[in-house]
Amino acid sequence: MDPSSTGIQEPFDLIRLSLSERVYVKLRGDREVTGILHAYDGHMNLILSDVEETIMIVDVDAPLEERRAVKMAKRKMEMLFVRGDGVILVSPPSRT
Amino acid sequence: MASQILPLELIDRCIGSRIWVIMKSDREFTGTLLGFDDFVNMVLEDVTEYETTPQGKKKTKLAQTLLNGNNICMLIPGSAGPDES
Amino acid sequence: MDETTPPPPPNEASPPPPPPITTSGSPTDFLKGVVGKRVIVRLTSGVDYRGVLSCLDGYMNIALEQTEEHVNGTLTNRYGDAFVRGNNVLYISAAEAL
Repeated sequence: MDPSSTGIQEPFDLIRLSLSERVYVKLRGDREVTGILHAYDGHMNLILSDVEETIMIVDVDAPLEERRAVKMAKRKMEMLFVRGDGVILVSPPSRT
Repeated sequence: MASQILPLELIDRCIGSRIWVIMKSDREFTGTLLGFDDFVNMVLEDVTEYETTPQGKKKTKLAQTLLNGNNICMLIPGSAGPDES
Repeated sequence: MDETTPPPPPNEASPPPPPPITTSGSPTDFLKGVVGKRVIVRLTSGVDYRGVLSCLDGYMNIALEQTEEHVNGTLTNRYGDAFVRGNNVLYISAAEAL
């Protein structure tokens, strides 16, 4: 592997370096959450706190190619467990 | 007993030739097979991806590509794919 | 480890042929060659992530840098770093010469 200057040797390092930071998580079913990452495991099960979920509301009557989120609803949760199999993407805060 | 050939031996003999890959979904690939592993993850070169979308068929050209074996349904050795007929 | 590795040349033969210039066949070889390069990662949902491949593991979990998310060809998001869970990955394609 290429141990670049970032000190990331495997993908999970990216998650490890994001502990206690606010992360963006994209989930199956057009769900998105942001929250402070407290814990994770090899399945990508996550524990997040101070969570805000963004719910995309889509007009299913619109033609397929124009089907965009017509409304974004938000809701907050204090503490959240995310089951790993629903995770698509995790993005940590930018490392600079 | 008749001589047996394992399915993956057949695919091994296709290395270097064109192959047509049909996924479990409405998605197909053609390309030159460079290699594969026990999960039938495949490395292809000069790839064309075929998608059947509600808006019609879509073709995408790709360079060297690692295709996840998880979603593969069928393999047709030596075929140029859906365009050949 | 890998059946595609050529057998060692016989002792009396001339020096072994140079190794092939391009990355050889197996998925492992492809991945070794593509780390640090620009790639397109397509998910089974059809969403594309374009970025620099920092690293990946045996599950095809992927870490990307300078990531752009494309849906139907339009840019929908940018991430400095992104972890993509491997089960969603359809393919990883080289977006620059290897």
